[in-house]
Amino acid sequence: MREPEGMQMTRWQCWQQKQQTMGQRLGEVARRLAWGFGLWKGALYEIGGLFGSGIRSYFTFLRFLLLLNLLTVLLTASFVLVPLAWLHTQGPGPTLNFTALQCPGSHQAQTYIPRFHNQLWNVLTGRAFNNTYLFYGAYWAGPESSSAYSIRLAYLLCPLACLLLCFCGILRRMMKGFLRRPGLGQDYGVPLSAKVFSSWDFCIHLRDAATIKKHEISNEFKVYLEECRRRQQVQQDTPTQRACRLLSYLRVNLLNACLVAGGISAIFWATKYSQDNKEESLFVVLQYLPPGVISLVNFLGPLLFMFLVQLESYPPSIEVNLILIWCVVLKLASLGMFSFSLGQTMLCIGRNKTSCETYGYNACDYQCWENSVGEELYKLIIFNFLLTVAFAFLVTLPRRLLVERFSGRFWTWLGREEFLVPKNVLDIVAGQTVTWMGLFYCPLLPLFQSIFLFLTFYIKKYTLLRNCRTPPRLFRASSSTFFFQLVLLLGLLLAAVPLGFVVSSTHSSWDCGLFTNYSAPWQVVQELVALRLPLSGQRALQYLSSHAFGLPLLWLLSHILTVCIAQSQANARAIHVLRKQLVWQVQEKWRLVEELSRLLQEPGSSESLIPDSPRFRASHPRFSGPGFWSPGSPGPESPARDPSTRTPPWLSSSYPGSRDSPGPRFRFPSGTEL
Amino acid sequence: MGGSGSRLSKELLAEYQDLTFLTKQEIVQAHRRFSELLPRDKQNVEDSLRERVSFEDILSIPELKANPFKERICKVFSTAPSRDSLSFEDFLDLLSVFSDTATPDIKSHYAFRIFDFDDDGTLDREDLCRLVNCLTGEGEDTQLSASEMKQLIDNILEESDIDRDGTINLSEFQHVISRSPDFVSSFKIVL
Repeated sequence: MREPEGMQMTRWQCWQQKQQTMGQRLGEVARRLAWGFGLWKGALYEIGGLFGSGIRSYFTFLRFLLLLNLLTVLLTASFVLVPLAWLHTQGPGPTLNFTALQCPGSHQAQTYIPRFHNQLWNVLTGRAFNNTYLFYGAYWAGPESSSAYSIRLAYLLCPLACLLLCFCGILRRMMKGFLRRPGLGQDYGVPLSAKVFSSWDFCIHLRDAATIKKHEISNEFKVYLEECRRRQQVQQDTPTQRACRLLSYLRVNLLNACLVAGGISAIFWATKYSQDNKEESLFVVLQYLPPGVISLVNFLGPLLFMFLVQLESYPPSIEVNLILIWCVVLKLASLGMFSFSLGQTMLCIGRNKTSCETYGYNACDYQCWENSVGEELYKLIIFNFLLTVAFAFLVTLPRRLLVERFSGRFWTWLGREEFLVPKNVLDIVAGQTVTWMGLFYCPLLPLFQSIFLFLTFYIKKYTLLRNCRTPPRLFRASSSTFFFQLVLLLGLLLAAVPLGFVVSSTHSSWDCGLFTNYSAPWQVVQELVALRLPLSGQRALQYLSSHAFGLPLLWLLSHILTVCIAQSQANARAIHVLRKQLVWQVQEKWRLVEELSRLLQEPGSSESLIPDSPRFRASHPRFSGPGFWSPGSPGPESPARDPSTRTPPWLSSSYPGSRDSPGPRFRFPSGTEL
Repeated sequence: MGGSGSRLSKELLAEYQDLTFLTKQEIVQAHRRFSELLPRDKQNVEDSLRERVSFEDILSIPELKANPFKERICKVFSTAPSRDSLSFEDFLDLLSVFSDTATPDIKSHYAFRIFDFDDDGTLDREDLCRLVNCLTGEGEDTQLSASEMKQLIDNILEESDIDRDGTINLSEFQHVISRSPDFVSSFKIVL
């Protein structure tokens, strides 16, 4: 902040600096806009001040997902919808001849009349949007050779590009929250000292929140100390005790795995039942049976996991991590099983059925199977959102009202609801996974998801501020960021696998959509390559996708990996040696100090030999105590602004260590003086 | 915003923007909040840049009121000879270091100075003891017992004291802080 002294800058340097600062400011503004910095800034600040950065990280995660979805919608709209509207193509109606199929009984698709002509019900099941651009079926394009812009290619590549972009965005955010400089040779966790020094949240500005935070920190320290003691105890265990502990671990995990297996088979049967009985009188209930069962399984699952894990008495951190891992496994497995059972009913994956043989999909029951899949995913998203709203207003709010009104023992025990960050995060990650799964069948699903995320922010904010209390256990923002991004990444991979399978090896419907005459949607790419690219381009592509390119690439990559690993091992050894050297040097320094003090106290050596002796703490009683003030560098390598104009204040302000001199206090006497 | 008498000039704003990590709006907002702490007759621009505000007034702003390190923060940023008051530039210094865009190196440097309770340039056992007491608060049930405190400080020194001299100096502190991704996002004060 202080002006640099005696710096004369030429006009050229002045101008250069001005350009630099202007460029930096523009970069700042662009960065803030790009990350939606302005959106909900006030609300996030308020939440951070009241509840700390752990809970605020959930809301920043929500904002991140909203931006991802909006980006997806933008891509889809600009590459698919706008050209489609521009070209004004209109497709012919259904042409499939049903008498050619041998459909069992009097089964004919799309002749059943829904019992409910209710408008609202049509919207909720997606029937109302059947012929709109929301679902795959309404898209149509002429043959590839007739138009310059290939709608099919755009439609095919949009979901893949969106998934790739989301993957890069998530990875980047994950790495940002990860360790900046991992300690080579040490473990990768955050060390205790780092946790202690960064535990206070300077954003908190309410006294009550500060008290709660202090409780949390105190708990965390006590838990850590308890775990240290436990670990020391464990190391002194006999082999039988160790075997017992291992067995109990295995038992708990086996039981949890059985629970997960039971849950997902329930989902499988529910989906199958709902698809097989589309004409029953319980049409209404059956439409929403799969989402209902999924939600029920994901509600009961964590409770049972918690019960089972708490039967054994594990240390709290292991307990929390174990329950969390199983909740994630359950959530993702239920979605995976749901998509697999849909695939089984519509595409006959994993079972034999004659109706699939003619067209490659179950044409008897589904005239346009992509639409059906899209509808199922659409229903799932709507159901998730309705459940969130219902829980917020029909469970949490009455609970708070009742707890406030009555003061019986039951009500005080019940208390307000805790805002559990992991549970809420898993919910929105599940919704996002479903959105990604549906990108191919229901291209505008991200638009619905964006609207729901937007509304969810306000609903959750209201719930948190009015009806909830903070959980007693500290939830760190950093580890939680990494955890959220990791679970999101797993969801993305889970969504990408069925998409890849569908795009490359399933027959699209003959009656609707863009890929009616292709054996698999990926064929479009090959056809276009043959049509549009010159021969040299085709040969180049052929070479790139052949083994002759793949194997040398693999060899090169493994070579690079080996070099990196060897380098990091060498670095670890160097660090080890340097540490030992540092310890030795400090010991040497203290030995020399003691030598000198001995020399000083000898009679005959006058004090004037060492002109700086008043600064030397000879009168300081403890030599093993704190020593020399070492002026640390405030980071000359990468300041945000040019350091020459911004002299950091500590260099010229009166920091007590520098009051006497800017260098070390003790000046070792030179040979001439002695 | 008040009359033109309480507005900073453009050149001054640009200069402050160059010298700190704050944006124009943040500087203007800081000036407004600082002026509110001054007595009524000293709230114009010239006086506000000259006058100093005592610690009690600064510590009354809500962003600092609940902070256990508020006295240390004020002491570290104060440039008065008796280290008991803050001028406007000291206040801007404070906000600059605690802003969003300050580099982690600067933040960790100042964190070190704030945690160094006895101002001797290193964090020794007493500094760490006082730090932990600040973090856990005054209550009976939250304070750590003497043995727990000793064990905790032993563990901290074991991990971060690389040269084994019994204290943590600035480089060791910065090295340890770099392992914590939480630090930058929690070491923030925004008006």
